[in-house]
Amino acid sequence: MDKRVVFAVAGSGKTTHLISKLSLDKRALIVTYTENNHRHLRNSIIKKFGAIPSNITLMTYFGFLHGFCFRPFMQNEMNTRGLNFRAPPQSKYPLTERKRYRDPGGRLYHNRLAKLIEVEGLLPAVRARIERFYDAVYVDEVQDFAGHDFNLLLEISAANAEMLFVGDFYQHTFDTSRDGTVNSTLHKDITKYEKRFSKAKIKVDKETLSKSWRCGTTVCDFITAHLQIKIHSHKDRVAEIIKVDTQELADRLHSDHSIVKLFQEQHYKYGCYSQNWGASKGQDHYENICIVMGQKAWKQYEEGKLREAVAQTRNKLYVAFSRARGEVYVVSDKLFKAYKS
Amino acid sequence: MPAIKKVVLQNFKRFESLTLEFDDGVNVLIGDNETGKSSVLLALDLALSASRSRVETIGYESLLAQSAVRAFQRGPRTLDLLPELVVDVFLEEGDEQGYYGTQNLTGAMTDGIGMTIAPLVEEFGSTIHQLLQDDPEGFPYEYYGVKFYTFSGGPHVSYRRPVKHLLLDSSRIDSEYAAREYTRTVFSFNAEPPERFSLENRYRRGKEAFRDEELATLNAGLGDYQFGVRTSIRSNLETDLIITKEGIPIENRGKGEQCFIKTEFALRRHGAKGELHALLLEEPENHLSHTKMKLLVEQLANTAGTQLFIATHSSHICSRLDLRHALLLGSEQQAGRLKALTEPTASFFMKAPDNNVLEFALSKKVILVEGDAEFILIEELYKKHSNGRTPRADQVHIISIGGTSFKRYLELGKLLGIRVAAIRDNDGDYQQHCVENYKDNLYKEARIFADPDKDRSTFEIGLYHDNKDACDDLFAAGRKKLTVQEYMLKNKADAAFELLTKKSAALVAPQYIQDAIKWINE
Repeated sequence: MDKRVVFAVAGSGKTTHLISKLSLDKRALIVTYTENNHRHLRNSIIKKFGAIPSNITLMTYFGFLHGFCFRPFMQNEMNTRGLNFRAPPQSKYPLTERKRYRDPGGRLYHNRLAKLIEVEGLLPAVRARIERFYDAVYVDEVQDFAGHDFNLLLEISAANAEMLFVGDFYQHTFDTSRDGTVNSTLHKDITKYEKRFSKAKIKVDKETLSKSWRCGTTVCDFITAHLQIKIHSHKDRVAEIIKVDTQELADRLHSDHSIVKLFQEQHYKYGCYSQNWGASKGQDHYENICIVMGQKAWKQYEEGKLREAVAQTRNKLYVAFSRARGEVYVVSDKLFKAYKS
Repeated sequence: MPAIKKVVLQNFKRFESLTLEFDDGVNVLIGDNETGKSSVLLALDLALSASRSRVETIGYESLLAQSAVRAFQRGPRTLDLLPELVVDVFLEEGDEQGYYGTQNLTGAMTDGIGMTIAPLVEEFGSTIHQLLQDDPEGFPYEYYGVKFYTFSGGPHVSYRRPVKHLLLDSSRIDSEYAAREYTRTVFSFNAEPPERFSLENRYRRGKEAFRDEELATLNAGLGDYQFGVRTSIRSNLETDLIITKEGIPIENRGKGEQCFIKTEFALRRHGAKGELHALLLEEPENHLSHTKMKLLVEQLANTAGTQLFIATHSSHICSRLDLRHALLLGSEQQAGRLKALTEPTASFFMKAPDNNVLEFALSKKVILVEGDAEFILIEELYKKHSNGRTPRADQVHIISIGGTSFKRYLELGKLLGIRVAAIRDNDGDYQQHCVENYKDNLYKEARIFADPDKDRSTFEIGLYHDNKDACDDLFAAGRKKLTVQEYMLKNKADAAFELLTKKSAALVAPQYIQDAIKWINE
């Protein structure tokens, strides 16, 4: 059974790679982390097969966690009624106390459910259930697994089925389901991160998806140089990175509806065709883009020190830059101030 | 075909708890009145349909076991003790993970779907609590809710049913709801979804075309207000479809004919098209003539690919469909299976002339006799030797069977724990015919009664010897060639009938029959 994690770079064709693994005679479970990606994969499957074939199941991670790993075994016993996506209150219930995992209304804290499954001894049953129904498990956006969820993922990967995880370490922008300090430093160091997989007997593959189809050489070189994130291009196309230094150009960009403006946050306040850096993850339809930087980032950019930005900012910038198929305009938010509401 | 393997009921109608295992082919539910045959079919129908409105129409009050409600009312009446109804339908395991899990009453990891009717404690807890305190008589049916689920704990929805089924209830066969439901179901498995939707679409457009073309002239002079044709959920292809046979709508035919046609039509194979997985038949013998019933049984017996659930009172139906398929519902919430019946015995009942096997199976105490003469006289003799009580008063059934089939009935009786007194002739050798012969067939509750005297080889001989005066008095006159005993042997039933009508007061039963009557009530 092949078990591997493929570290992909932005625009390298993760979805295409996953979809190419699917066939009508292999029972496959695909788990995505975000709803956005779920929809994207669903449409890609429909494009390939015309419909969703009965041997292929697509679930979001929380759908999988609750509907596949917990509900079939424990719902009646614990009298639960779905997930609670709020942070659990500060209370000192021990790990074995069910109140730690279940709110008074019967909902399970989303960030602790993976731990509950371990504590209740359900891991063997979950692995058996995977083996009972699937020949292969594909997990997309693996970089988004954090906290207990990451541990659960490694545990279930021992099931006797093909396992393929794909993700882009640097596209990890925030932990949605952290619980205390569990795996809180997981994304600090890529070498240590890789080790977690190899220790769980999962082969780390950094070759297969190391080149971007989307970004041209210039953009890849820029990302490698400025953010110190290695990314290569399939295309030998040279596209410009344009530093915007006049208000006039900024105004033109603002009113150009073919160029998306990517902001660090609160993009909707600028009254133009826009998105936030982090939220642009997964978007594949932009041509030229315009990245608007706050003063701190702008200063680091001008000094060639963007790599020193905090990891979260750096990762978000990586996501943003790697959206570009064509040209990238870089602009200081000073020149957009007039538009802010 | 996903077969229904088992149903587990909790607090459903008359069943506080019941488990029934099913066969992949035919299942015949037999039982006395009020043993819950129809309830089992209803439970399957409701859980498989996953139709909230159907359940609500029937009403929680009539579905929730009244015994459980009474038990609750007698107790401390706290929220946590409110009874819940559960129907768990266990299915053959398949490749769909959504049905697989342990969320059922048994906790078994398998495929299935279920239905529960439970108090909405999370939503209305304090209201129910208040109500229980304020009204010592009231039961909070209004705060109950129905939920349909799969064994994986997910929701079970009516548009994604793992088992396509149809309930044919001959007692409501011509009700409008049943007719519509039937047509809808049969339509849905005769036409694949794309075909169905295209037909529905064309029907709607046809109506619109009628409005635009035929009504146009009329509407032309009407200004703002126009006539249109209804197209809505209450008026579409599904609501307007009917089924016809030879041009005549089947709803215009008699109930019996309808029942027959509907069953036949539902079971017809459709090649690669969607099929009916399970057919639930409620007393199909109702409204059917004997001939039609035989035709129907033949049809049912030759059904392949559709799992059958038949509730019946008819010996003919249950024995002809192989008694081993029969599930006997008792009055004590128990169900016996005749699966363990041996093959020869099951085929015997399929081949033997119409018989009383169902009456036998449903009895607790049975006197088996082997001929018409015994049958005619036994009730009178019974009364004589039990201080005037009738067999009916003692719940003793008297069944007359062919002499060779004692062992078949004994096998069935052993399986069902029926107390059986079998009265037979010794045919000249008591030890051989009445002792050795049955040594492998008897059980604690079964005994053979026969005359030990080899000269009293038949019932008539024994009867004549014990009632010489009465018989001579009745039959001696006019006898030329035959003796009285020879006459009685040649005309068994007639002689017995004459004795019954003219000499019943004087008659005495032979000792072995007296013994049988005494023993059956011990």
